[in-house]
Amino acid sequence: MIAVLLLAFQLATEAPLPDAGQEARAQGLMREIRCVVCENEPVSQSTADIAVDMRRKIREQVSEGKTDGEIRGYFIDRYGQYVSLRPPTEGLGVLLWAFPFALLAGVAGLIGWRSFRSRHRDLAPLPDDGRSDPQG
Amino acid sequence: MIAELGHLLAFLALATAATQSALGLTTGGVAVKRLAVATGVFSLLALLALVISFVRLDFSVALVAEHSNSQKPLIYRIAGAWGNHEGSMLLWCVIMAAYGAGAALFMRPDMLRDRALGVQGLLTTGSLTYLLLASSPFTRLDPAPLDGAGLNPLLQDPAVALHPPFLYMGYVGMSFVFSLAAGGLIIGKIDRDWAKRVRPWALTAWSGLTIGIALGSIWAYYELGWGGWWFWDPVENASFMPWLVGAALIHSLIVTEKRGGMAAWTVFLAVLTFCLALLGTFLVRSGVMTSVHAFAVDPTRGIVLLVGLAIAGGAALALYAWRAPKLMAGPEFDPVSREGALILNNLFLSVAAALVLVGTVTPMFAQALNISLSIGEPYFHLTFAPMMAVLLLAMPVAPMASWRKADLTPILRSLAPAAIVAFIVAVAATVLHGGFAPWLFVGVFVGAWVVAGVLRDLLRRAGAGGVGRLFRLPLAVWGMAIAHIGIGLFVIGATTETASREERTFPLARGETAQMAGWSFRFDDVRQAEGPNYYATRANITVTHPNGGIQVIHPEKRIYPAAGTPTTEVAILKTLTGDIYVALGDTIREAPGVWRIRIARHPLIDWIFGGAGLIALGGFVSLAARIRRREKATVEEQAPASGAPKPATAGAPA
Repeated sequence: MIAVLLLAFQLATEAPLPDAGQEARAQGLMREIRCVVCENEPVSQSTADIAVDMRRKIREQVSEGKTDGEIRGYFIDRYGQYVSLRPPTEGLGVLLWAFPFALLAGVAGLIGWRSFRSRHRDLAPLPDDGRSDPQG
Repeated sequence: MIAELGHLLAFLALATAATQSALGLTTGGVAVKRLAVATGVFSLLALLALVISFVRLDFSVALVAEHSNSQKPLIYRIAGAWGNHEGSMLLWCVIMAAYGAGAALFMRPDMLRDRALGVQGLLTTGSLTYLLLASSPFTRLDPAPLDGAGLNPLLQDPAVALHPPFLYMGYVGMSFVFSLAAGGLIIGKIDRDWAKRVRPWALTAWSGLTIGIALGSIWAYYELGWGGWWFWDPVENASFMPWLVGAALIHSLIVTEKRGGMAAWTVFLAVLTFCLALLGTFLVRSGVMTSVHAFAVDPTRGIVLLVGLAIAGGAALALYAWRAPKLMAGPEFDPVSREGALILNNLFLSVAAALVLVGTVTPMFAQALNISLSIGEPYFHLTFAPMMAVLLLAMPVAPMASWRKADLTPILRSLAPAAIVAFIVAVAATVLHGGFAPWLFVGVFVGAWVVAGVLRDLLRRAGAGGVGRLFRLPLAVWGMAIAHIGIGLFVIGATTETASREERTFPLARGETAQMAGWSFRFDDVRQAEGPNYYATRANITVTHPNGGIQVIHPEKRIYPAAGTPTTEVAILKTLTGDIYVALGDTIREAPGVWRIRIARHPLIDWIFGGAGLIALGGFVSLAARIRRREKATVEEQAPASGAPKPATAGAPA
């Protein structure tokens, strides 16, 4: 009985890593690796057995000194890109990461350029209702 | 009998809605008003008939048999009426008709009102046709079963019972904003008066949407059992896109109303917001995506929604393409001005909405092409969050800038104390967190900057009069201030919660104790318990607070026999600095008697929901300001007999 319990404890133990920095990294990774049997849940949130396994695997690899990229790669190799909630940063993935900033810069540039070209220097401020000139 | 009456009332509503659209788009006049009110009343009575069937547990109605159960408490019987596809479609129609009826009663009778009611009548006719042809909630069942199957037990919850009405108040409310845009385009008049009349409807819908989203988030937080309040899940994103564009809209409407500028862009946003609401409904209802929140899914419904979206969006965009080139450009302004600041707001909010849209639909397309791809929290944290941080830096500056041309130097000088306060708060948060975390620092700084900056602006507006004058400031200023402070508190809460939450799963046997963050949790035992319509496995856990106080909590797992699905009921300990959140997991397969207990600390979680509440409250206060001003304007108009004041120039200062 005690042996069974001990075994279960080894299986189910989720002691945090002794090093706080490593534990924080592990928790960060748990939030971006998907639980493979759940709908839309990262392993950090799941109570499924496999999520427990995956969490342990993440802690194990962090304590072995693997980088975040290597640990992500480990899961992606096994379960496909789908398992990572962080889209890839190479290939077409670059487009995905860059487009919001490119769009923002592009439109801002366009607006800025147009309003600079038509800038009038003789405009005076208006009061809060935005209607009448202060002079009447 | 009641169900047949409801069915008949829905047909009557369809008839009046069709007539309303025909007359509204042609002759107009007082008949349109009466028809719009009738559509509203008939559809509301139809919903009432459905609710009565649910309350009376009339299992001969198929919908009641599928979604209710004799053991269900009364409030969930009522909510059960819209806790399913057919009922929620009816609720959709009712709210759409109610907006039409409201507009008929409150709007000045003229061409814009008639055309808008005509378009609203078209939308209502389409929705009711779909309801009656493809998803009638009044279908009978023969023979009637003795008892019903019950509501999805996850939905047996007060927050989620109220979630659909508010969400639809937002989603469907945008339909009337859309109708006003289409109406304005039809008569070719998108001007200051148009903007002034659209804004109350946009504010109502957007504030409702805010509450709807917040209720969904609160529900996810305590009902799904993992303590997440936002996961960038496709269903969440679906409601967030119209929220972002709606936020852009209520700001660009200010420019159009006060200065007559940005008319083409504003009307485009008004059309786009409703299209995104339809797209969101399509994404949620069609089953093209999987989500923790997706309930009633059916691919054929998706097709109908998609066709509806294509027709409404296509027609409106064609109308737009025809009229937009003739819309006025508005008076000139310097880039550094209130106008410029509001353009910046619109730029960031629209790009953010585009980013959420792409992040949501790309994985679906990828899946269709057999590409393995997920886009989740890390992506949005690294793209959306920095964009919003920059936007929020400008937030306190904008209301202080004057129209047409502003001088930044005095504004920044008077905001310097706010920057110092924000820096101190951010340093304090870093110390409390126990180390420098860049996102925490930036988030808290930006949030505190917004709150302090808005307070600084309020004091500036009050002038030398001090606190007493503060309460005499116009309601519109208060609406803006409350909503902006809500955003600031939300950002502080959200970044603190994200950066400092701790979550751990402890395997505990009876009598064992777990420790976390100075709290200790002794797992006493697990008992079986029985509720009105469920069986519970309830844990007794003795909690010792860091200050020595002792308390027993009961997280539980429930099984609702009528539905057979398990749910989690967490125990939440409220503290001043946040929640301690305890959920009972499963027993461990290899060792029965050992349970997984999830314990989490969610700092400042109430700031997130409280902030969202303030945002909605700010919207409603702005709405109240609008209504009060309208009354004042009416009094002023009546005073000089028939002095024929132009509507655009009447009205008190902002």
